[in-house]
Amino acid sequence: MSGSAATPLLTVRGLKKRFGAVTALRNVGFSVERGEVTALLGDNGAGKSTTIKAIAGVAPIDEGEILLEGRPVTIRHPSEANALGIQTVYQDLALCDNLGICANLYLGRELIAKPTPLGPRVLRDVEMEAEARRVLKTLRINLPALDTPVASLSGGQRQAVAIARAVLWNSKLVIMDEPTAALGVAQTAEVLRLVRDLAGQGYGVILITHNMQNVFQVADNIAVLRLGETVLEARKANLTPDQVVGAITGTLAIGAAA
Amino acid sequence: MTTTTQPAVPVQSPFKRWLSGVANASDLGMLPVIAALIVIWIVFEVLNANFLTPRNLSNLAAQIVVTGTLALAEIYIILLGMIDLSIGWNSVLAASIFSLSTVFFHLPVVAGLVLGIVFATVVGFLQGMLVSRVGVPSFVVTLGGAMVAEGITLGILTPHGGSVPLSDSLTTAIGTLNLAPLWSWVLSIVLFGAYAAVTLNQIRQRTAGGHEGGYAAVMRLIGVGVLLFGAVFMLNAYRGVPFLLLIFLIALFASAFVTKSTQFGRHLYAVGGNAEAARRAGISVRGIQLAAFIIAGFLVGLAGYLDAARLGVASASVGNGDIMLNAVAAAVIGGTSLFGGRGSVYGALFGALVIESVSNGMNLLGAASSVRFIVEGGILLAAITVDTVLRLKRLRTGRA
Repeated sequence: MSGSAATPLLTVRGLKKRFGAVTALRNVGFSVERGEVTALLGDNGAGKSTTIKAIAGVAPIDEGEILLEGRPVTIRHPSEANALGIQTVYQDLALCDNLGICANLYLGRELIAKPTPLGPRVLRDVEMEAEARRVLKTLRINLPALDTPVASLSGGQRQAVAIARAVLWNSKLVIMDEPTAALGVAQTAEVLRLVRDLAGQGYGVILITHNMQNVFQVADNIAVLRLGETVLEARKANLTPDQVVGAITGTLAIGAAA
Repeated sequence: MTTTTQPAVPVQSPFKRWLSGVANASDLGMLPVIAALIVIWIVFEVLNANFLTPRNLSNLAAQIVVTGTLALAEIYIILLGMIDLSIGWNSVLAASIFSLSTVFFHLPVVAGLVLGIVFATVVGFLQGMLVSRVGVPSFVVTLGGAMVAEGITLGILTPHGGSVPLSDSLTTAIGTLNLAPLWSWVLSIVLFGAYAAVTLNQIRQRTAGGHEGGYAAVMRLIGVGVLLFGAVFMLNAYRGVPFLLLIFLIALFASAFVTKSTQFGRHLYAVGGNAEAARRAGISVRGIQLAAFIIAGFLVGLAGYLDAARLGVASASVGNGDIMLNAVAAAVIGGTSLFGGRGSVYGALFGALVIESVSNGMNLLGAASSVRFIVEGGILLAAITVDTVLRLKRLRTGRA
């Protein structure tokens, strides 16, 4: 393990979640190290989305443990996840197309000045732009002028805005749900480069994807879910794509490796 | 992120870049409506040489005030992607409450004014609660609200003959007097100086941060200067800037500040653009919706008072659907998208100018109101078609 400390950034153990009669998660567990990409794989309905929703606080778990830097935490609301330094980039990106890049980066967390104690809460656009430009630079993201509406950006650029927004807030762990699903070849390469960069800068990344090639390009660690259970967790170096596909489909029985 | 715009664009003069930006934009701001306004003015001036006279333009300046203020209220709601059909009757109700409380209950004029505006604000709050907490569509809530307001207005005005003449000095002054020409110049120069200082300061700060686009801001500054001083020159050639117009412009500039420079304004656009994204970003979508309805209610109450002041009477016969539809038309003509999240409060000014110019010009020509309705309806249809086409264009290019 290449983590800076002995304890992983995030460990989840024995996650269970029921929706009425349906058991979505039976026993999910995996770890994410600082500076590493953990790919979370599984067929449709395997429980990937439920798992990240649990970690992101959108849909809290029924049972199980979430350890952040070794400390058990309870996450019942997205704002609690954010406060713990966990940010999620959803598949639909959740951007406001009518607003500019900078406005989206700071959406809901605008820098404001209050000329009087009672307000008004005046936007500090110039400061926001300067800070945003700095963060985009460290991530090597090139974007048009920051007041350009997100509507006029390409798919890859929009993804970059969503990812930059996730790391703008002293986050430690970034969860990405299918970031390359709707992108072309060049843009996919660019987003994968960004994912690697994030890890390189010490963030922990959970990457959800169906694309096996992407997984083997960027992941350090691979966890496979099947029918709400972790059926495989191992270093990428010890796995072949066939083994992973086998674990996803259930045709290849592998004992869950730690 | 593969795009590196600055190097990708061949070196062009800032003017050419600005021009090509305008030509390719799917959101042109105020330019189309200003162009339409110029065409309308030229047409009416050709048809009747009295149209572009200082006296008629002063009349026009007072005529746009009620439509403009109501359009301003409507824009707050339309930016959310909703609609408020109650603004017409709600404004008449506010004027009725003002007139009854001051004329028959002998309340001080200012107290009556506050009462009328507070009442309209409360109506906005109640409608906003139904829309934001319960989730009833705004269309239905405000349609019902309009009918209730109409009923109350008729109920309280009918015993007094359906209309109450206003003769208190404040209302008369606001409705009929003008800011003297000298003061009009002083005020416009001070305002423009402040605006120029803010704009130039922004350009300086942004250029220092390696940001481009100062050229558009300079062009806008020049445009605003030409419009402002041209308008003051014209109005001063008659009697100066009408107080009515001044009040509307204060509401307009305050709204411009609220929508463009405050956190609330940013969130208003965010909720209108993508409510789910706003919610996930931690914005209280319901709170923003409620606040928009409260602000709209306040402006509607103000518009009711201004209408009564202009006409010198609070009357149930002025609320008949017309003023509400004119305000919605003005908002849409002014470039506010009915799909939410796009548009500017300045659209209230220019949209009201278009609507009222047509109305004023038709009156000068002695046209029957039937013709006026047809022309105004045609302009509204053209505006909404342009809005929809631009939205489809954005959708096609994957930008909506």
